[in-house]
Amino acid sequence: MLKQVYVNKTVLEAARERIEFIFDEFENIVVSISGGKDSTVLAHLTLVEANKRDRRIGLFFLDEEVVYDSTVEQIEYLMNLYPQNTIPLWFQIEFHLTNATSYQEGQLICWERGKHKVWMRSKKPYAIQHKPWDKAHETIRNKDKGFGFYDAIENFQRSRPDTAFLVGLRATESPNRWRAVSKNPGYKNIYWSTDIGNGSHTLYPLYDWNFHDIWKYIYDYKLRYSRIYDYMWRKGMNFQDIRVSSLIHEKSFHALVELPEFEPKTYDRLLKRLKGISIGHIYGKDARMLQARKLPKNHKSWREYRDFLLKTYPDPDKKHIFERRFSKQLDNDYVARQQCRQLILNDYENNLPVDNKPDPRIETIKKWRAIL
Amino acid sequence: MKLRSKKGDIDLPCMDVILVPVEKVVANNYNPNHVPKNNMILLEQSIIDNGFCFPLVTIYDEEMDQYVIVDGFHRYAILKYDLEVEQLPIVVLKHDIKKRMAATVQFNRARGVHQVELMADLVKGLAEQGMEDEDIAKHLGMEYEEVYRLKQVTGIAELFKNQTYSRAWEMMDVG
Repeated sequence: MLKQVYVNKTVLEAARERIEFIFDEFENIVVSISGGKDSTVLAHLTLVEANKRDRRIGLFFLDEEVVYDSTVEQIEYLMNLYPQNTIPLWFQIEFHLTNATSYQEGQLICWERGKHKVWMRSKKPYAIQHKPWDKAHETIRNKDKGFGFYDAIENFQRSRPDTAFLVGLRATESPNRWRAVSKNPGYKNIYWSTDIGNGSHTLYPLYDWNFHDIWKYIYDYKLRYSRIYDYMWRKGMNFQDIRVSSLIHEKSFHALVELPEFEPKTYDRLLKRLKGISIGHIYGKDARMLQARKLPKNHKSWREYRDFLLKTYPDPDKKHIFERRFSKQLDNDYVARQQCRQLILNDYENNLPVDNKPDPRIETIKKWRAIL
Repeated sequence: MKLRSKKGDIDLPCMDVILVPVEKVVANNYNPNHVPKNNMILLEQSIIDNGFCFPLVTIYDEEMDQYVIVDGFHRYAILKYDLEVEQLPIVVLKHDIKKRMAATVQFNRARGVHQVELMADLVKGLAEQGMEDEDIAKHLGMEYEEVYRLKQVTGIAELFKNQTYSRAWEMMDVG
């Protein structure tokens, strides 16, 4: 039986040992950085070890173009902490991103060729600006969606065999992450790793850290961190909820609500770059407009509302994607609410899959009826 | 009187303010704007601190012989119900219903937001001028906690300096 066992070390001591182990075992090491606090700590710990051993490690940042300026500044800071030990892997390549706030422009192709005049900012001279892998063998998970964020990561990782990819995932963030970092050894007997083939592995040296450990480390080593954290704290958010997310996809568009208060210039540039941004700003946290948590008063049921949304769906080229998908699903209000959300967020890519099961409310009522 | 601009002449209703009895003014029935309670208190404070600087915007309804509010409903409510005044300063536009509805939204929506960073600088500035937290909270319409957070110039990491690191754990196969 697998059990979580506390050991007589702090998470910091343990993380340092884990990173030493990785340096002993792997020739090639790449740390994924996002500009967020966890990957900042992981990059720093790894760079310190690289410096001690006089080795070089890759810092991998997949640049989505539409990000906070504070994120860009944080990446620049990390890339320049230990330049002699850093191989900058700042990727500014073309890929598709979901734009959940617009029917007309359901996707952003970041760094799209020929559109450099409207890019959020110009490319970094030292960035990797063209896909460094063989296009003929490039893989794409979802053809409806096109070459996306995770495709870029997968193809990048495949292009670098025999490498340790370090990621700042922490188990306490969500049950999914808990599973990812604590189940099934991916490398030797290491539970906090995943085998991704080609002799490469993903490893999570910070898996047991709590958010306060992260902040303590940032304080102790006087690391720079994204200003967004301070803004969110000042806006009254809880420590646990404070995170720097992407700006436009289906799970993060609510970041647009506060963006003009945090980075007005970023918001203005985003308005020019992409449609739907002001909708996300105004209604990003509204229960009816975008989140489909409450039924609008003009509709009697989620099923009726779904039929209405489908009938009035504005893009004839994509409508059949929803019709085909929904025809295979159950017809109840529980399912219909989720279908409404897909329609409202123009989620033809199916990023927010529908939990297709009998309405749990009806099931509970049935059970009680049987008992009574 | 008109103001000349590069996009044509601009009317100046603000130069034609009149005082009318409070009963002559009524709310419209379509305003989607809602001002939360804490901001209503701030609005009242603002009227007390600064005086009533902007007239209510209305149209004249001949049938009712009353002025219907296009903009300023919440200021009207404060003057009428909280401060119990007898007269109201208004300007009267000659808008039809379509233009009135649009105007209401224009007045409500065309506004900015406060940059968090600059707001923090402002609060810090007031504190350095010797303003007490209590007064900052009252006159800026903030809760104490908001004042505290905005004054927290050192940033979020500072708050964790006395924290100790957690114990590490491992997954173990215990048979």
